[in-house]
Amino acid sequence: MATIGAVIRLLRTVFYMTLAVASVGVLMCIGMFFLAVRDLPRVPEPLSRIIETPPTEIYAATGERIMVIGGREAIPLSKVSTQFIQAVLATEDHRFWEHHGVDKLRTLKALWVTLFEPGRIEGASTITQQLSKNLFFSFKRSYMRKFRELLVALQIESQYSKREILETYINQIPMGVGAHGIEQASRTFFGKPALELSLAESALLAGLPKSPTRYNPYLHYDRAKERQRVVLSRMLAVGYITRAQADSASRDELNLRPPPSGARTGSYFLDMVVKSLEERYGPEVVYHGGLRVTTTLDPQLQTWAVESLQEGLARLEKMLGVHEQAGHGIGGEVIRPQGALVAIETNSGAVKAMVGGRNYVETEYNRAVQNNRLPGSGFKPFLYYTAFEKLGLNPATVFVDRPVTIPVAGAQDWAPRNFGLKHEGPMTLKRALIRSVNSVAAQLVERTGPKEVIRTARRCGIKSHLEPVYSLALGTSGISPLEMASAFATFANGGVRHKPFWIWRVEDALGRVLEERIIGGERSLDASIVYQVIDLMRGVVDEGTGAVVRRLGFDLPAAGKTGTTDGYYDAWFTGFTPTLSTSVWVGYDQGEGLRDIQGLGITGGRGAAPIWADFMLKATQGEPPREFAIPPHIRFETVDPITGRAATETTLNPMRVALREGQSLYSTIMEDETSYYSETEASQVEP
Amino acid sequence: MSPLTQWNFLAVTRKLCINLGTMDWSEPRNFREWARRVIALRPLVLTLLILAVVISELRFDWLEQALGSYLVTTNTKRPESGAIWEIGHRTITARQTLEQLVTGRQSSQREARGASTFTQIASNLPPGQGVMLSSEHFRDLYLTLPQAIAHEIVSPIELLRLFSDGGWIRTYLENEDYGFKIYLLNSENRVLRELRIPSDLLLQIKRVEIALEGSLEDLPTFENRIYPADRFFRAMEALPEEDLRSVISQPERLLSVPGHIVRVGISDEAVSGFIELGFEIEEGTRRKVILLRGREWAVWILRSYLEEKGLELNQTTGEGNET
Repeated sequence: MATIGAVIRLLRTVFYMTLAVASVGVLMCIGMFFLAVRDLPRVPEPLSRIIETPPTEIYAATGERIMVIGGREAIPLSKVSTQFIQAVLATEDHRFWEHHGVDKLRTLKALWVTLFEPGRIEGASTITQQLSKNLFFSFKRSYMRKFRELLVALQIESQYSKREILETYINQIPMGVGAHGIEQASRTFFGKPALELSLAESALLAGLPKSPTRYNPYLHYDRAKERQRVVLSRMLAVGYITRAQADSASRDELNLRPPPSGARTGSYFLDMVVKSLEERYGPEVVYHGGLRVTTTLDPQLQTWAVESLQEGLARLEKMLGVHEQAGHGIGGEVIRPQGALVAIETNSGAVKAMVGGRNYVETEYNRAVQNNRLPGSGFKPFLYYTAFEKLGLNPATVFVDRPVTIPVAGAQDWAPRNFGLKHEGPMTLKRALIRSVNSVAAQLVERTGPKEVIRTARRCGIKSHLEPVYSLALGTSGISPLEMASAFATFANGGVRHKPFWIWRVEDALGRVLEERIIGGERSLDASIVYQVIDLMRGVVDEGTGAVVRRLGFDLPAAGKTGTTDGYYDAWFTGFTPTLSTSVWVGYDQGEGLRDIQGLGITGGRGAAPIWADFMLKATQGEPPREFAIPPHIRFETVDPITGRAATETTLNPMRVALREGQSLYSTIMEDETSYYSETEASQVEP
Repeated sequence: MSPLTQWNFLAVTRKLCINLGTMDWSEPRNFREWARRVIALRPLVLTLLILAVVISELRFDWLEQALGSYLVTTNTKRPESGAIWEIGHRTITARQTLEQLVTGRQSSQREARGASTFTQIASNLPPGQGVMLSSEHFRDLYLTLPQAIAHEIVSPIELLRLFSDGGWIRTYLENEDYGFKIYLLNSENRVLRELRIPSDLLLQIKRVEIALEGSLEDLPTFENRIYPADRFFRAMEALPEEDLRSVISQPERLLSVPGHIVRVGISDEAVSGFIELGFEIEEGTRRKVILLRGREWAVWILRSYLEEKGLELNQTTGEGNET
């Protein structure tokens, strides 16, 4: 009897305890409900309205759409493949049509698994709950967040039909690779509208929302296929498909489009465009306002620019023996040389192609714009222009290539060396530039002064900080490839400067014009002197340090200048035809010079000029030869490249020079040259 | 709640309280008593009731529906918070910003299209902004300018050449700190010719276009060079025909003003080869001055006539002397 009494007491205790717990539970739920309801987000009406934000579309100059920023377009369920809808329902929420926002049985099961099967956590969110979370809540895990998410899901179920909920869900669901919603995902992964998705494709896409990164078919194809099979088995279990269909879809090869981010046309260029738009209109307008932006990019040139740079860098790697150096980088990673290429239309300043690095996916740092690297001898054309303008020199003026020491007030004397550490004696300025003789450049800058050279560079549009020191003449102040291409375009354009630009026109979503580019040049250099400099630079391409361009088959009229810095940290080639100015830079990002396997340094002529030639060959294919416009009062003389005197029949390698009105050959022999001759002659007569 | 339902509810509650009051709440002494109490009608009914509630909820989701319906009623009072609302707000802000930009631009454009003089455009165009005009509209504006000023901006022959080339399609006027910058553009938006109207020239245009209230004495530039109108026009008569237009390029403008000219002032300073002339007009009791510009050399000739033959001319004047 006493035992029965004890049992009864126990049962009674359990009963009251349960009652108490249940009461507390109910009270807590009520409390939580009112607590959660206080700042529960408002659900918009209609639900799909909030997904439709206009995209900012960026177009190439050819009219091709090259980028879409933000913006989502909702499509009706009728425009989505039934198989995809079935796949989503089978995988995410097969009782979607039956429940009212919460799948209680699944929730209880998930609760059981989570509580009593250690190490396993099972989710039970319905499509409505997922929609609620995606639209209103952060991804921070908390019970209160979960509860609020549940409440909003209940409201959504009460306020909207199942079709509306499903339609909103499939239009906002994140699918990875920047795609939101099934239509975007379908076009991104398979290049087709969502209505045309096959069973295999539908199953693959329906598997992505669980973890768009983990199942990204571009990065983890096998994993994505495995997930696809899970989706197909769920569809089979739910009864949407037969075993044969599941097996067939599972075997189907997926015809994926190339991955979008890395292959996007002109990613570096687009970064620059977006940055400019943000600066002008603010990020909100760019990402949510729906602009239509027409850029200057020529997609074909851009493709060729990328190809040329990547192939050039591959060749360079071979020369450097990069693959054999595996392990010498940080953490054993191979450090690879980088490069940049910018091509500008000379008569407008429009940037037609831009590559800021070897691979945008690896590094978004835009070396074409942000990387101010020393241009080396690539800076000399500004010096020669200054010397012609300020000192009245001409290409036939003779200077002596000799050891030069220039005293610098308050600092060590500056004693520049030639690339080959040799001196060749007297030579005309044209020959000096063609051979990129540093000692002559040093003598010129000593006469003009660095400030005048800086002034010329500024007139050509160079904005980077330039140090007013003598060594500036040899390119010791950093400049970006964009600036170089643009500044050389001023030469190509006969001294008329066009600011580089990359946006032609900006409109709002309704096509109302916000801005449009006006192409107006500004004469900043004297046309006759510019022509003389062009003539010098043509010599560089035809027979000088950039002659590799001709050897590689580029035979259109072109001018350019190589640049190599001490230690071979930078190799440049900037050159132009009358219509296109292109600058190429190659080098390591940090602290390493370009040296081949034999230890020889890579110069601009070896490293950058072949890339330039390769690109320009493609960019100008089919173009008829077009000469640089010769300004009035320019005449040509053939001279001896050593003495600068008129060439005779016996002159070795005579050289054509362009002279301006009033310039004659014999009035231009510099003092040093005469003293050199007198010294030489004296030494010859001495016994 | 209707009175009938209310009455029923109260009756049931009362009955339940009576029942609860008559219930045996003492501890059962033995198993039989315990079993008897458990397997009684009331507990069974209660259990069935609870089961019915639970099963009906599982079957019909009435709790979810009730909560959902309640939340729908409070929806409009709740905040527009959460990720999607933030995007929505940004979209609205972006649209408003764009709308402002476009509206400002369109309004300047509209006003410029309706403008018949440069000064009208200048007064409506905020600094730093520009407007696009057709080449024809620019030509019309150009033709409203006094010849002298027009020449200073661009020669009519140059404009004629650009017109006949057919390449000049549009004109972009930009309001800058120092005045107007004008780009004559072709269909590709390339600048065919860049022109400028400096602020001082714009000011002159404005002065020429408006009649200043008051007399010539109010304008210091005409001090010591004020002549009676008849004397001035007599001197004009003495000029060769081809020089007359160089002194007064737009006589139509003077003719169109109501009232009659009583005095004429000649400025003592020349600007860019031109000298300003002030025509004082009397209209009833009001006096106003209209400013025109004459070619410097022609005005000098006229002045020499005025000065040399001043006495002779003075004898016939009806009003005022040279001051």
